[in-house]
Amino acid sequence: MSMEDQTVAEPILSMNSVEVLYDNVLLAIKGVSIEVPKGKMVALLGSNGAGKSTTLKAISGLLKAERGHISRGEIRFRGTAITEVLAQNRVEMGICHVIEGRRVFEHLTPDENLIAAAPLGMNRAALNAEKDRIYNYFPRLAERRNSLAGYLSGGEQQMLAIGRALVTQPDLLMLDEPSLGLAPFLVAEIFDMIKKINREEGLSVLLVEQNALAALEVVSDGYLIENGRVVMHDTAEALKANSDIQDFYLGGKEGSNFHNVKHYSRRKRWLS
Amino acid sequence: MFYRLSGVYHTNYISDSRIYKVPADRNLALALLVLGVAAPFIAPSLYVNSYMLPWLIWTSAALGLNLVTGWAGQLHLGYAAVMAVGAYSAIHAARFGVPWEFALIIGGLSASVIGSLFAFAALRAKGLYLALTTLAMQFIMDWVLTHSPAISGGSHASLQAPTLKLLGQEITSDTGLYYVALAWCLLVTIFMLNLKRTGLGRALVAVREKDYAAAILGVHSFYYKIVAFAMSSFIGGVSGALLVATFFFLAAPEQFSVAVSIQALAMVIVGGLGSIIGSYFGVALILLVPGLVNGVVVTASEQLGMQINVETLAHIPNAVYGALIVIILLIEPLGLGKLYGNIRDYLMVWPFDQLRK
Amino acid sequence: MDPVFLAELAINGALTGLLYSLFAIGLVLIYKASSVPNLAQGGLTMVGAYVVLALARDVGMPLWLAIPIAVAIMFGLGFGIERVALRRLAGRPVVMILMITLGLDIFLRGTTLAVWGGTSRSMELGVSYEPLFLGDILVSRIHLVGAFVAVMFFAAFLLFFRTRLGIKLRAIADDYMASWSVGISVERGIGLSWGLASVVAVSAGVIWGEIQGVDQALSLLLLKGLTVAVLGGLDSILGAIVAGIILGVVENVGADFLDPLVGGGSRELIVAAVLILTIMIRPHGLFGRHDIERV
Repeated sequence: MSMEDQTVAEPILSMNSVEVLYDNVLLAIKGVSIEVPKGKMVALLGSNGAGKSTTLKAISGLLKAERGHISRGEIRFRGTAITEVLAQNRVEMGICHVIEGRRVFEHLTPDENLIAAAPLGMNRAALNAEKDRIYNYFPRLAERRNSLAGYLSGGEQQMLAIGRALVTQPDLLMLDEPSLGLAPFLVAEIFDMIKKINREEGLSVLLVEQNALAALEVVSDGYLIENGRVVMHDTAEALKANSDIQDFYLGGKEGSNFHNVKHYSRRKRWLS
Repeated sequence: MFYRLSGVYHTNYISDSRIYKVPADRNLALALLVLGVAAPFIAPSLYVNSYMLPWLIWTSAALGLNLVTGWAGQLHLGYAAVMAVGAYSAIHAARFGVPWEFALIIGGLSASVIGSLFAFAALRAKGLYLALTTLAMQFIMDWVLTHSPAISGGSHASLQAPTLKLLGQEITSDTGLYYVALAWCLLVTIFMLNLKRTGLGRALVAVREKDYAAAILGVHSFYYKIVAFAMSSFIGGVSGALLVATFFFLAAPEQFSVAVSIQALAMVIVGGLGSIIGSYFGVALILLVPGLVNGVVVTASEQLGMQINVETLAHIPNAVYGALIVIILLIEPLGLGKLYGNIRDYLMVWPFDQLRK
Repeated sequence: MDPVFLAELAINGALTGLLYSLFAIGLVLIYKASSVPNLAQGGLTMVGAYVVLALARDVGMPLWLAIPIAVAIMFGLGFGIERVALRRLAGRPVVMILMITLGLDIFLRGTTLAVWGGTSRSMELGVSYEPLFLGDILVSRIHLVGAFVAVMFFAAFLLFFRTRLGIKLRAIADDYMASWSVGISVERGIGLSWGLASVVAVSAGVIWGEIQGVDQALSLLLLKGLTVAVLGGLDSILGAIVAGIILGVVENVGADFLDPLVGGGSRELIVAAVLILTIMIRPHGLFGRHDIERV
């Protein structure tokens, strides 16, 4: 995809030099600008503490729960500014955030997890259809729909977390580290499923991942965030080919490592 | 203006660990001390003995509770029971003929022993559960007091305290009683001020922050919990004894009921957990303000010629007392001590407050 | 000992215990949703009873109208208390939350007595004081009515927590952050739990007001209610019912044995002992969740 295509397509989400402060003092992200084109999948890559999760929380409005707020910049969703909108209203507008660490409702069954997420206005027939749709995507969940979610395996919990988010009828799904702590074959299964949902339903996806290799396989675009700033933005293909990305996030080639001063200084440029 | 940090340099650890790092704080404390000593000669004795004296004794008691709740972080809803143990054993000892000096120490020590039982609850429970356990223990102590005439003093359940006699002097004058309270309060305050600077004080704080994280660092958390409960109970026991000896003159179980335990905790929390100056403020607010508000209501109703029901008047202080707790916690959950700290921080740099940034 | 007499003690104890459950259900509802131990439940119960009386005596409404209106008023009061006071302290250490609920309790009691006076008033529900004979066993009618109300509340909440709104409330109890992330309004949910607890408080106030008169003593139910809630496991409504029955029986039968030995008044002692033993032996109670604390 070329840069021209992106400017033509109206982005479903645009973030314009957003700064986030925690507790009024700690600057977590420093002027992040990203765009998610409608119907596309975009990845946010970066190391621990780079500000990826904070970016997602700024978009979903969950920052408030952690005493953070947007001190500068603007977030637009389908053209409307949402910076001041409450988290629960953003969900109604069509933004759903699958938070890090799965966080299913452990003392509820998968069935009840899905019901909890459904808007109260949804009628019974629609709710059942919705449940069937989710169980169709994740047949493993259907088998265990009546046991407590706390007893599901990690992979099943992640599926449930994604399914729970889908019930809210999002137009933009944000996933925070869905691969965390999962076996590689499960990561592949979950990513395939996300890709499938994206393709079949035209759902836009913003994916935060440390597992850059898996993420770049499914997304069309990627942003690299380091130290609270976007340091690189390109198509997935170009990012995969970039030697810096290969060295720092894809495990590198021919045994290069961080003791190599040259690499270190290159990365340092991003971090400063 | 009065506070200045500029020009105050600490060039060694001893100077840096002084109680008053800012000279103005020390001067303020000295000025208050002078005022406290001079009070009986300036203020009418009615005020000194019915407001200042209980305020001082309750402040010492609150400081003791602050030690265990504010410093060591152990919730305590049975403090009045511990004070009762101190009061009753001291008075029984004094009635038996033990000199008051020793009777007070006996009171403190027996309160320590019973108070340490509460620490065994703290071994198993913490937070809410510890609060509920101590509350239940308070109920048991109440029950024992009211059901044992041998302790509470016969059918009327009241026990006359013998005249206070310290260092061979019979203390009967209002001024004398006031000075006893002042001396005890000063002693406890100085102890608490110094506790902050010792390893023991730091260990208690470590236990409060996370007891088994402290244990990993080699702080024996259970030992420190017992020490905290024992020390605080000693202070509470002696304060309880003095409260009866200098203020009530008669010991009765309802002086140390559950409501009093809650009141003591309210003093500490409204004052600010872990704040010494805060305890002074907290006690003043909880002990004195409800009465003052009632006085204002009575005067106002007389002025306006309104008739207020006697029962209504009787319950207004309680409503005010509850409302004060709620309001202070909503304004500043860290209590009056924190509010004082904010003002002090502001004055410290005033009028150059851009320096704070 | 005479088995009939023992059975009578046990049955009446169980009925009284269910009345403690009625009180404890209020505590459980709030604790379940927000992990707040509501020590103001005693004050709420007292206010509930006084509001019913005020509507019935001072305004002159019939009881069947006064009670639903009191329920509506109290729901608003509970919702409002959460909104004004508790929400601002969310996330603060438990000692401050305990204190603010204690402060609220003192405030509610003080205000109620300042407005309506401290003399005990009677509820006059119209339930006969004639004891009911079940075979040889004497049973108090009002206790029977109260126990029935408690069981009905239990059944109603059991059903409620299976509805979609109820499931959302349970989700809130599980994980605030995850609830926000799927658009559940945690604040409104906790407010709802306070409202419901205040509704339960009206029923407890009416029943207990009928039994012992409407006065300050209603707030003293707190210790028994807390004991039942803790024994049942603080976040379990089923626990509140079972623990209520257990505490009622233990208290009634135990007091009969102990009273002659200690000269009366051993009920408080038994309740306090049960509370301490529960916390020492099984802090999460009979049916409560066992949470793990991490460093």
